[in-house]
Amino acid sequence: MTISIWRLSHLILAISSSLFIILAALTGTILAFEPISNKLEPFAVKNASALSLSSTIENLKNEYDEIINIEIDKNNFITASVVTKQGQSDSFYLNPFTAKKIGNTIEKAPIFRFTTNLHRSLFLKSTGRAIVGIVSFVLFLMAITGIILIAKRQGSLKDFFSKTIKEDFNQYYHVLLGKYTLIPIIIVTLTGVFLSLERFSFLPESKTPHIKQQQTSISTPNTESFNIFNTLTLGDIKGVEFPFSDDIEDYFIIKLHDKELYVNQYNGQIVSEKLDNFKALATHWSLVLHTGQGSILWSILLLLTSISILFFVYSGFSMALTRKNNTIKIKNTFNKNSAEYIILVGSETGSTFKFAKLLFNALLALGKSVYISELNQYTTYKKATNLLVLTSTYGEGNAPDNAKYFEKLIQDTPQENTLQYAVVGFGSLAYKGFCKYAILVDGLLQQHKKCTPSLTLHKINNKSFTEFKNWADTWAKSKNLALQVNQPKNEPKQKITPFKVVTRINLNSDYSFLLEIQPLKKIAFKSGDLLSITPKNETVARQYSIGKTGKTILLSIKKHEFGVCSNYLNNLKLNDMLSANIEQNTAFHFPKSAKEVIMISNGTGIAPFLGMITDENLKHSKNYLFWGGRTNASYKMYSKYIDDAFYNKKLSGVYLSFSQGESQKKYVQNALMEKEDLVSKVLKNNGIVMICGSVAMQNGVLKTLEHISRDKLNTPLNMKLIKTDCY
Amino acid sequence: MKTLFKQTKYITILSLLLVTFLAFTAKPNTYKCMVQMINYNGEGAYVVISLINPEGTYEKTLYVQGDDDEWYHDIAEWWRFYGKTKTDIDAITGATIGGGERAINVIEIEPDKINTGYSLRFETAVEDKEYFIKDVEFPLTTQNIKLKHEGKGYIRYIRMMPQN
Repeated sequence: MTISIWRLSHLILAISSSLFIILAALTGTILAFEPISNKLEPFAVKNASALSLSSTIENLKNEYDEIINIEIDKNNFITASVVTKQGQSDSFYLNPFTAKKIGNTIEKAPIFRFTTNLHRSLFLKSTGRAIVGIVSFVLFLMAITGIILIAKRQGSLKDFFSKTIKEDFNQYYHVLLGKYTLIPIIIVTLTGVFLSLERFSFLPESKTPHIKQQQTSISTPNTESFNIFNTLTLGDIKGVEFPFSDDIEDYFIIKLHDKELYVNQYNGQIVSEKLDNFKALATHWSLVLHTGQGSILWSILLLLTSISILFFVYSGFSMALTRKNNTIKIKNTFNKNSAEYIILVGSETGSTFKFAKLLFNALLALGKSVYISELNQYTTYKKATNLLVLTSTYGEGNAPDNAKYFEKLIQDTPQENTLQYAVVGFGSLAYKGFCKYAILVDGLLQQHKKCTPSLTLHKINNKSFTEFKNWADTWAKSKNLALQVNQPKNEPKQKITPFKVVTRINLNSDYSFLLEIQPLKKIAFKSGDLLSITPKNETVARQYSIGKTGKTILLSIKKHEFGVCSNYLNNLKLNDMLSANIEQNTAFHFPKSAKEVIMISNGTGIAPFLGMITDENLKHSKNYLFWGGRTNASYKMYSKYIDDAFYNKKLSGVYLSFSQGESQKKYVQNALMEKEDLVSKVLKNNGIVMICGSVAMQNGVLKTLEHISRDKLNTPLNMKLIKTDCY
Repeated sequence: MKTLFKQTKYITILSLLLVTFLAFTAKPNTYKCMVQMINYNGEGAYVVISLINPEGTYEKTLYVQGDDDEWYHDIAEWWRFYGKTKTDIDAITGATIGGGERAINVIEIEPDKINTGYSLRFETAVEDKEYFIKDVEFPLTTQNIKLKHEGKGYIRYIRMMPQN
């Protein structure tokens, strides 16, 4: 299993620095509160920044014996260091209008002092500072590799901020938060690196000299009339140091935001000035941006960034672990030249390997010689007769990492035998390029002289085991194999809940029936979730899409003559018990914000929709239901629910089609075509289309929708508007 | 006229007495003290100003630039004196001074320590860098106390000014 260089570096960087990153993020979270709590202190005096320096000095001189300096910090608190008329030296927060003390200077709270130390040097002094600096740089590199990974995932840099597709909690929020905290993280890490470097004097020292200014011989008796003191206001300055003595060589030192001035204490002339050099400015801004001092908003942003970093560590590692668990060691007993069946896998995250392994084991169990490998390892196979390709798609139609060279390899590698091939694509309908790479592989094989198809390309949505099993069964049938693909046992532990049958509506003409079952334990579920039932003596669970009607679960089941599960359910009587577990299926929950929703189903696929249209909270959208069945009689069973919904204005339209109808045969697709104006209007307004039922129906419907979209809206169908749950 | 003279005499004697009394209670004098640092890279410096008795040992801590007491043990020589007693120095501590910066403080010295063999010591330490026991040290004399004193370590010079 190969892994892309960017993902690998992202992971290695994370592993090498995670402990320090956790520490820095935790302490950073605490430290974000310091500037906030300081800023909330009431020492900033209103309008003080507009007060002139001369008035401030005059006020101070009237109140105190001597002034040593005044400083204005990022919170606009003014600190004065003075000698009082009683001869005591004191330093405090000042109101410049009255020159009175308004509070004692804030001492750094012990918790912040401790945390600051831990944050910047881990109590290891220089060693610690170096470590923190390096870790900060590593985090910066992770942000960069992260950008590349997101860009690849989104298809291109241009789509960086377009919608992220939700497949997995950790992955989704890792990417989503990554996008939004990217800029703060880059700022925090770079300033962190800069502050560390600054301490190690790695930065070139650019000396900016004080430049002497030309002096004119004007003598002004008192400071209040100094020109410069009248023009400067407290908003312009960072601090003023008063002359140390009466000596003419002792100046007023005025620190402005970008320079320092020496001012003659007798005539108010600028003796010399020094512009802050780049390093001073950079240090200043690094400090402000890194610590958030002076701005509550930025501090809060830093706080959120710190918390997100903690989440990244957590979600990142849990993804890496999942991927590791997905990585399946290939133990071939046959080599490439002795095996009859060749399985080639294209996988980015490793989950496709799981399926390949199932197939591999099933073939071995039949005593067949199988060889499994990656698409990148494509070569000549001397004894092979069958080629099975299982591949996912990366991003918007790219080859997964371990399949990158296949396209070239298949052109360059001669094959001795004719191979009968079948391609299975794994992907998610939520992506625009659903199974696009599998389609490409299928095309490549079609063009190959030594390859003949044994089955057409099969696409599997959201890693559905049932779909995969269906494909495997079909394929095995075509090969006359009694293939038995078993569901892997290490699926997440299922919570079994007992249920009681509360309603049942008997078989209709379509051999379908309805069950309403009530959970005996309090559990949360929604229409669109899946109910897994494992009949006795069976290992494979059957899944049914459920509708939620009040507190009960509505199941719509088709009885198959030899169906173990459907017969078991059909034999249940009122008040009988059964155990099953509910699997969340958020991908098929009713959209929260859509204004219009089209629900399309056939046969028993109507069950989740029956739940959705009876939901009391359903008010925000206009809903249309398309249903296809065999005859009008098969519809009767559902009519009560639909009539109620119609009466309660939860449905704005119901369109039925019957394949064995009185006058003409009609499928859902036909109904959709008839209502193409409605369908295109909904698509245009970003309404949602939900599809539940058989895969054949799904494929037909998607084709129809694509047609309507191209025809009416002149754009390909936006797959983001489509939710499916088909089997 | 005589009474006036007498009155003046009494007043003079009284004031003289008062002055001598004040002089002998040894009211501490305050001095403004400026520490100017050299341009060095690294953390802010800890500067401890101590009064040294004629025997050459610490008598009293006058000022400490650097308020994080976790690092006080780095100022080893002074720590040996201060660490034992840990007298309250909250009122006479300030922030560390960075390279190129200067700090002005007010320190108090009793008049009987002037011209009697006492000296003033400026001790400096910077995290992970050299430590100077006697960055600046000079005998406390009326003359000395008004001069500029060059430093040997992180201090470029110090200047003192008696407060009136």
